[in-house]
Amino acid sequence: MNLLDWLVLLGTIVGIAAYGTWRTRHTDSLNTYLKGNHNTGWMTIGLSVMATQASTITYLSLPGQAYENGIAFIQNYFGLPLALIIVCAVFLPIYRKLGVYTAYEYLGRRFDAKTRLLGASLFLLQRGLQAGITIYAPSIILSTVLGWRLDLTILFTGLLVIVYTVTGGSAAVNLTQRWQMAVIFGGMVTAFVVLLTKLPNDAVHIAGALGKLRAVDLTPDLKQRYTLWSGLLGGFFLSLSYFGTDQTQVQRYIGGAALREGRLGLMFNALFKIPMQFCIVMLGALLFVFYQFQPDTPVFFNQTEWRRHVDSREGPRFRAIEEKYAVAHADKQIKIRAWTAARDRGESVAETSARSAMLEAQRASEAIRKEARDTLRAVDPKAKTKDSDYVFITFILTQLPHGVIGLLIAVMFASALSSKAGELNALGTTSTIDIWRHFRPLAADDELRNVHNAKWFTALWGFFAIAFALFVSFAENLIEALNIVASIFYPALLGVFVVAFFLKKVGGSAVFWAAVASQVLVLALFFAGKFYPAHEIGYLWLNPIGCAACVAFSLMFQAIIGTPARPPAGPANPTA
Amino acid sequence: MKPSPDPSVPEDPPGVPGFRTWRGVYLVVFGFFLLCVLLLVLFSRVFA
Repeated sequence: MNLLDWLVLLGTIVGIAAYGTWRTRHTDSLNTYLKGNHNTGWMTIGLSVMATQASTITYLSLPGQAYENGIAFIQNYFGLPLALIIVCAVFLPIYRKLGVYTAYEYLGRRFDAKTRLLGASLFLLQRGLQAGITIYAPSIILSTVLGWRLDLTILFTGLLVIVYTVTGGSAAVNLTQRWQMAVIFGGMVTAFVVLLTKLPNDAVHIAGALGKLRAVDLTPDLKQRYTLWSGLLGGFFLSLSYFGTDQTQVQRYIGGAALREGRLGLMFNALFKIPMQFCIVMLGALLFVFYQFQPDTPVFFNQTEWRRHVDSREGPRFRAIEEKYAVAHADKQIKIRAWTAARDRGESVAETSARSAMLEAQRASEAIRKEARDTLRAVDPKAKTKDSDYVFITFILTQLPHGVIGLLIAVMFASALSSKAGELNALGTTSTIDIWRHFRPLAADDELRNVHNAKWFTALWGFFAIAFALFVSFAENLIEALNIVASIFYPALLGVFVVAFFLKKVGGSAVFWAAVASQVLVLALFFAGKFYPAHEIGYLWLNPIGCAACVAFSLMFQAIIGTPARPPAGPANPTA
Repeated sequence: MKPSPDPSVPEDPPGVPGFRTWRGVYLVVFGFFLLCVLLLVLFSRVFA
């Protein structure tokens, strides 16, 4: 980054902060702080939902995921459009009719207080853990740009986001996300165009030959993480949970001016999500091709971490790996060129032989990358050895024109802060409405006290996220880690909502214990897979299994309990 | 198995040109989704 980049970066960050602070300087109503402004239009809601989806995590992590494993991750989104139709047709009208602050208020009205507390607790636990993962996004950007250690940038950005959220509220989040979305889209297009100008003519064929373009996998194998079937079924349940029961999303469309706007916003997302994610994963697959022809492709993309060890006492060990990788990389480049030449000549026998040699060279260079990660882990057991989240940020910093680098870094950083703000805001809201108010019912009408508490809870969750990020290590890249955590805690929660909407005869006690039992089942399946990897199932399958188990257990427990459920009386109960 | 309707809240029309009901909007979204999956299957066949 040069002086121009720094000026653009600082100007953009200061501009965003000043605008958000000025526009939301009088946020003293609980309704505005927690639900946003009721004048939010459908375009703002739609873009806001998409901006939360296409946050910095998406841009940092998804190209890296495709760089490493190909574009098969796109299948993860196959269930999303179907889930959004169900959310629009069933979930959203019910929430809007009730005028609830949180999705879990509905559970209290339909069942009882303990089920509401359980629903809110599952959400808080899941989102709290996710907040500890999402904090990595802005921290990775700062760490890469400034060359600081990751733990320092986690602490810095964590504190920054707490201040931003506590002083702004969800209205500020919606205000800034709309144009951030536009700039990030612009940045992505710029990155794509720059990348295309640097690629060889047959880049798509090279990516395909090296196994990066298998978008749809029809294999009926439960162990495969991403197949058409896991995407359709597992992705459907995962998306239904996310958009239908997660307060970070529900708070967005209960903040819309009318039911119509909320629905249109979600349909907007349902239409464009798959094409948009396809563009991002293709960016990753093409980045892979680009780096095959770069002489200085790093063996490990987190260069801040790598350089720290190269300059240490263990330096010779790391430099030896670098040298070995450079030789293997150059050899692979020759093999790729030999394959493309044979392909251009139309010599099928030579092409087949060259392709085998190319794939062998690819395996050899991957083995050295693995050796690099193993060495890092051996020298520093706490080191983050997953570097795919650093691939795209490395490309941005080294290949884009100056000025654009500063703008894109600033907007990605701001977008990451906004996403985190929305997340922490939802955690603060749910903690206040569903937990604190439950134990302090007399304080429910004290508007200022509620806002005050929501802000305290928001800050508390911020500190929890910082602590989790600093002390817990995980082996997945960011986007997969988020989906795995969601797939563990969402299914039981979704099961409770499915029972609430469709099984009128099931009461609070039955669904409560069914949710506990299905949560235990999902945890058992997940950890059994970790202890016995040969029997591990793809994490997306946990979603339909957990939800179906919750529904089945509810029916079973209700049959055992025997007495007919008597929902609490009241005009706001939609099933009454 | 369907949630009880609440007659107190009227059904908003989508207000999108060419669509009189939400069912029409859902059908278009569903059709577009099928098209996306089909194109991705073809893409895999051609390039993978």
